[in-house]
Amino acid sequence: MTDTQWPRYMVLHQEQDNKPHQHAGTVHAPDAEMALLNARDVFVRRPDCVSLWVVRADLIFTRTQEELALHPDWLGNIQAAGVPTEIYYVFAKRTQKGQFSHVGEVEAENPAHALKMALQQYPAVDGLVWWVFPAKAVLKSTPDDIEAMFAPAAVKDFRDQANFHALSVLRKLMRKQETSNEP
Amino acid sequence: MYGATVDPIEDIRSDEEKLAEFEARIARGEKIEPGDWMPEEYRRQLIRMISQHAHSEVVGMLPEGAFITRAPNLRRKLILIAKVQDEGGHGQYLYHAAETLGATREEMLEALLSGKAKYSSIFNYPTLSWADMGAIGWLVDGAAILNQTMLAKCSYGPYARAMVRICAEENFHRRQGQDIVITLALGTPEQKAMMQDSINRWWWPTLMMFGPHDTDSPNSAVLIRWGIKTKTNDELRQSFVDQTAPELMALGLTIPDPNLYYDETSGHWHFGEIDWDEFWNVVKGNGPCNAERMATRRQAHEDGLWVREAMAAYAEKDQS
Repeated sequence: MTDTQWPRYMVLHQEQDNKPHQHAGTVHAPDAEMALLNARDVFVRRPDCVSLWVVRADLIFTRTQEELALHPDWLGNIQAAGVPTEIYYVFAKRTQKGQFSHVGEVEAENPAHALKMALQQYPAVDGLVWWVFPAKAVLKSTPDDIEAMFAPAAVKDFRDQANFHALSVLRKLMRKQETSNEP
Repeated sequence: MYGATVDPIEDIRSDEEKLAEFEARIARGEKIEPGDWMPEEYRRQLIRMISQHAHSEVVGMLPEGAFITRAPNLRRKLILIAKVQDEGGHGQYLYHAAETLGATREEMLEALLSGKAKYSSIFNYPTLSWADMGAIGWLVDGAAILNQTMLAKCSYGPYARAMVRICAEENFHRRQGQDIVITLALGTPEQKAMMQDSINRWWWPTLMMFGPHDTDSPNSAVLIRWGIKTKTNDELRQSFVDQTAPELMALGLTIPDPNLYYDETSGHWHFGEIDWDEFWNVVKGNGPCNAERMATRRQAHEDGLWVREAMAAYAEKDQS
């Protein structure tokens, strides 16, 4: 069998302009461009997307609250070395049932440093799990892509269960049956 | 694991401490995330369940896919295409969830194509008429939704999140199925007879979807203890019958179970015993369509080879 084990790309999905990007899942692809196309096919079958990002999963640096709590000194030992910094995106899962969502950006020298900066810069975010990754590693859909990538889903209204009236028909029939069963 | 590239944090707790803390977290309703400590058995059970679930979505495209060219009108055809496409997507969400536990997609696909991995036996039954699209949507997807709604609350974060997404989309599947069943059941005598024949064939295999009785289900206890499942097979099966039986009967359809009746004292529908010989026979690979489904999957994988090769070549050219 041919090796299908292409790199994994994390897919981040934005439902509306004023909402943060959220994690949707992953796709496998040989490069970021195809990852973006796959992401569209796998995660945008419904009209709820204005922007998609993909980033290689192995570039995401992650720590859970459990990992951080086990070694409270770990973060303290990370020091800036005075080397050039770059922008990192910060994502966090804030509630048990929640999804990872975009918190903001930090400038840092490396992934571990970025996480330290994120914890300092966003003290109000009680992250159960944190993700940081370099902004330059992300491939994003552009506003020009909306028409081709996301707009077609909007006319497929039959994917919305609200467009089927099965439930009201069934309820009506069952009520009718109940009344006819009464003596 | 989500790609952790920097020196991992060492866990110095003893195994007993880890397990006690893990179980306490689950008892508190917390979600276990990749990176958190988990017992090997938890990981193993989840990979087994999630990959089987993913395979079921993928193989589940076949029985309905067979009717896309035979849909009675354009709207029904669009709906069916959309539904089958959703199933493919659900398979992808689930493979992703299993990958967070360390399983690779390649291993999982290999296990499916070699026949080593199991998938839901329901897809080893044939689709014989358009009415089957209604029965699958209502009964099979309806049964799946009960199971998936439970799993959306499971203790493993990535599985629960995949399920939330899937449940939202599956409701469309059930509704379009009900729509077909209602249309046929209230249609001409021929249409109604076609629908009845379909219900007769799908009712029992659907009840089998929930799996063996709790007493014969070796994994149930540990799955419930670790919050992977929160309801037993028999509980879910009973909910399904309670919900579905009266609705089908309201449409004038009959259910092929002479022992089915509403029990006033328990408030539940009593139903007859499942033919477990049939169940195990299909699980073991001797169902009506096991061989055909696997042959179709393998063929599809081979037919897709040129696409994978083309994508790899394009990526290579792009880099050079």
